[in-house]
Amino acid sequence: MSDSKNDFQELKRLLKLKQHEVPPPGYFNHFSGDVMARIRAGESAGPETALERIQSGSPFLATVLRLFEAKPGLIGAMATSLCLLFLMGVVLADRSDEPTGASGGQLSIQSPSSAPDSSPMLASAPLEPAESGISVSTNPVSSLQPSASLFGSPQNPLFQPAAFMPAGH
Amino acid sequence: MLTMSEPATLSDQNEPSGQLEGDLVRRARHGDLAAYDELVKRYQERIYATIYHMTANHEDANDLAQESFIKAFSALKSFKGGSSFYTWLYRIAVNKTINFLKQRRNKHHISLNDLDFNAEHDPDLMALISDKTPHREVNLSELQKKLNEALLKLSEPHRMAVVLHDVQGVSHEEIADVMGCNVGTVRSRLFYARQQLQGYLAEYIKS
Repeated sequence: MSDSKNDFQELKRLLKLKQHEVPPPGYFNHFSGDVMARIRAGESAGPETALERIQSGSPFLATVLRLFEAKPGLIGAMATSLCLLFLMGVVLADRSDEPTGASGGQLSIQSPSSAPDSSPMLASAPLEPAESGISVSTNPVSSLQPSASLFGSPQNPLFQPAAFMPAGH
Repeated sequence: MLTMSEPATLSDQNEPSGQLEGDLVRRARHGDLAAYDELVKRYQERIYATIYHMTANHEDANDLAQESFIKAFSALKSFKGGSSFYTWLYRIAVNKTINFLKQRRNKHHISLNDLDFNAEHDPDLMALISDKTPHREVNLSELQKKLNEALLKLSEPHRMAVVLHDVQGVSHEEIADVMGCNVGTVRSRLFYARQQLQGYLAEYIKS
């Protein structure tokens, strides 16, 4: 990145031309007067964007924003890591919500206000969905749905297929 | 009076009336408009020149320079003195200009200032348009137009680096301070910007 290989002398010479560009004669004689008149009139410095507010209020945030602007890939990486963090949080929260006694697909019903062994009848009688034909779920919609077709399964004790027999037979 | 052709560093304090910048800033913070008027007069040319070289438009530069000074006045209470007032003011002007240019991306309207009398007597510039130049018929105005068009092709941060360093003579460290990046980034932006410019202006630069 040094100028040793290419010192850009000709370019620098050309850029000197910019230094000779001057505003109209007398322009600076009234510049400060115009600024002070606008300040006295209580004029604000144009609409301030959110970015400008950040830039003036928090240089660190402005630097981060500039970094994101310069390297858009960083935004993707940041968003991905935030999503992963969020998912990890959800998974961990789910795990911590699981009741400690429930294992092996058995569902034990416990009263939230009593100790775990306060109702031994309930605690020792886990529901077995496979036998009743009704799956138990915390989902209010699916909890009352039988696991198999109502009429297709002859083993279902709750539902019998209707049979119509005419009187003469 | 400081001319636009004079390279000036940010730490180069121009104090014509002998008043200390800190004193003027303190008085301006307490609402002393005369003190702020003095600060405006002190820095108006450099602030205007930076914005003008970035926009290549006198009217836009005028508006943005005035707005920068107005914003600085309204934000003076938040100026904690961590840097010099001029660096802080420069930062406001630079941010305002870059935001303005981003909003008007690809909609450049060039309105160039005239070249001063000295341009025709600058030996470096004369060498560029002498008989040795590949384009012998080129004149200074045309060169000025081509140069500004080439500058406008650069991204805002690259253009800012070239304008501040190669046109206004601001040091790498001060540019880093104003632009909120490190010195290495400034050097790298400068190198890349010069390379780009050299490519755009190849036919006007002797190899």
